[in-house]
Amino acid sequence: MDPITLISIIKGGLILGALYALMATGLSLVWTTLGIFNFAHGAFIALGAYVAWQFSSADALGWPMLPAVLLTCAVMFLVGVILHFLLVKPFERRSDVVLIAVITTLAGSTILENGLLLIWGPRSKQIEPLTRGEVDLAGLHLTTAEILLLVLVLAILLGIGMFLRYSRPGRSMRAVSQNREAAQLLGLDVPKLYAIAFGLSALTAGLAGIFLGTIRFMHPAMGSEPLMKALVVVIFGGVARFSSPIYAAFIIGLLEAFSTYIFGVYWAPAVLFVTMIVVLLVKPEGLFGKYQRTL
Amino acid sequence: MLDVRDLSGGYEPVQIFQHVDLQVSAAESIGIFGPNGHGKTTLLRTLSGLIDPWQGDIFFDGERMNREGRRGSRKWRNFNYDAVTRRRMDPKKVARAGLIHVQQGNLLFPELTVTETLSIAVSAASGRRGWSVAEVQQLFPRVAERRDHKIRFLSGGERQMVSIAAGLIAAPRMLILDEPTLGLSPKIRQELCGAILEIRKTGLPIILIDQDVAFLEQIIDTLYLFDHGRISGRMSRDEMPDHETLMVMLFGERH
Ligand SMILES: Nc1ncnc2c1ncn2[C@@H]1O[C@H](COP(=O)(O)OP(=O)(O)OP(=O)(O)O)[C@@H](O)[C@H]1O
Ligand SMILES: [Mg+2]
Repeated sequence: MDPITLISIIKGGLILGALYALMATGLSLVWTTLGIFNFAHGAFIALGAYVAWQFSSADALGWPMLPAVLLTCAVMFLVGVILHFLLVKPFERRSDVVLIAVITTLAGSTILENGLLLIWGPRSKQIEPLTRGEVDLAGLHLTTAEILLLVLVLAILLGIGMFLRYSRPGRSMRAVSQNREAAQLLGLDVPKLYAIAFGLSALTAGLAGIFLGTIRFMHPAMGSEPLMKALVVVIFGGVARFSSPIYAAFIIGLLEAFSTYIFGVYWAPAVLFVTMIVVLLVKPEGLFGKYQRTL
Repeated sequence: MLDVRDLSGGYEPVQIFQHVDLQVSAAESIGIFGPNGHGKTTLLRTLSGLIDPWQGDIFFDGERMNREGRRGSRKWRNFNYDAVTRRRMDPKKVARAGLIHVQQGNLLFPELTVTETLSIAVSAASGRRGWSVAEVQQLFPRVAERRDHKIRFLSGGERQMVSIAAGLIAAPRMLILDEPTLGLSPKIRQELCGAILEIRKTGLPIILIDQDVAFLEQIIDTLYLFDHGRISGRMSRDEMPDHETLMVMLFGERH
């Protein structure tokens, strides 16, 4: 393997890792605070991509990228809050909420995806890349869009981390995830914090969808494969800290890039799952520590 | 101020306490004394809304804390209990009305630091006047000392102190303390008892559960005896006998 190939595999792995990190963070945000897995997360990814396409594409509204992205974020946050209200909230006080939420969020996912098909049709679409420049670094070919994607994803993750650490609602969210009863007894508005967590998670999914829509063709089920990977990432890395799924995402991204190069596209997922099984055999609580719901 | 009428409840489907009547005025502190496992904690968790009462009403400061509505029949409980019967209690409402419950053996937020925990309490109080962070740090110097440590690295006594400190910040108008001195070494215990006495001196009414009659005597005006899920006796501080006599009253001659 010559160095240029090696570096471009690493580049591909990092970009995959960044996308997985964004999705896994949203997924683990809901898992740690509400204690459920949101199987509609993949549909959120697709929805974000389609909404952004509607705002930005020359065939639709044709707005500039920045307002289109910002408005998409707002829409996604709202969609998250509304779907939390419809799919999860009615069952929140039941002890078997985890199982019920699997069904309701799967149902929500199917409805969303078919809704997308109904509204935007089956034809593949693509979002215009954020920028069009190209850079040549010592024989390595990079587009500025790729660099921007990496930088933006890291900035977004940093932003979410700061939000959880320093802002009032963020801190309260961590408190709720660590001890719901104690938070309730102090008078925190737990239902509101749950809604914010769900909205924020949908927002990150939407952003992931926008990025994905610029590098691949969009279709209503475009989120299901990344959701699968994000699940793997969350299980693989554990959720002991906010950063654990992020590290795991980059490891998985690189692993996927290398195994695709070495074993081919068809075997890459198998390699991924075998690795995950081996890791879980050795460290059942995930690569980075305790398997528990904290933030 | 707190008016509990004919309250019954428990953990579905097991009833733990029944027909509890309890009146606490604004100037008064009460103690609840009873054997382990007879439902004192369950009663308090119902008062603060963590579990719904099966029957009866809770008024705090004249306002009804529980929503009206019957506990569903067994048949209805097979459906979504929340959707078909109205939810009866909202812990947020109780806490914001000023009835603050410091749980027994509270683990608080293991991964947050002491400072972060207190700041959560500040935002939970959201403008209502509670104690300031500086005031609770003065009351519990130990808490001030360990402010940058995560809760899970604190000792049981320190954690209890942080719990109470957070409760004080959350703007209490009545404070529920559930066995605050459980399992502490004598020295820490004394420190904590001193602090609780200080809190009492500010005029804040306290509902205190403790197994130590001598300590209860320092804090409370009225003692309620609680066994088998019922209030079986009520006595003022002057009528309070010592520990041995109390145990005999609860269990008879041999225990
Ligand atoms: N989450 C729960 N689900 C079901 N039953 C419970 C639960 N928590 C406690 N119980 C039961 O309720 C009964 C009363 O427990 P509770 O903790 O209220 O007693 P207590 O008087 O506070 O005891 P202690 O003095 O030991 O704190 C016990 O028999 C216990 O087994
Ligand atoms: Mg108890």
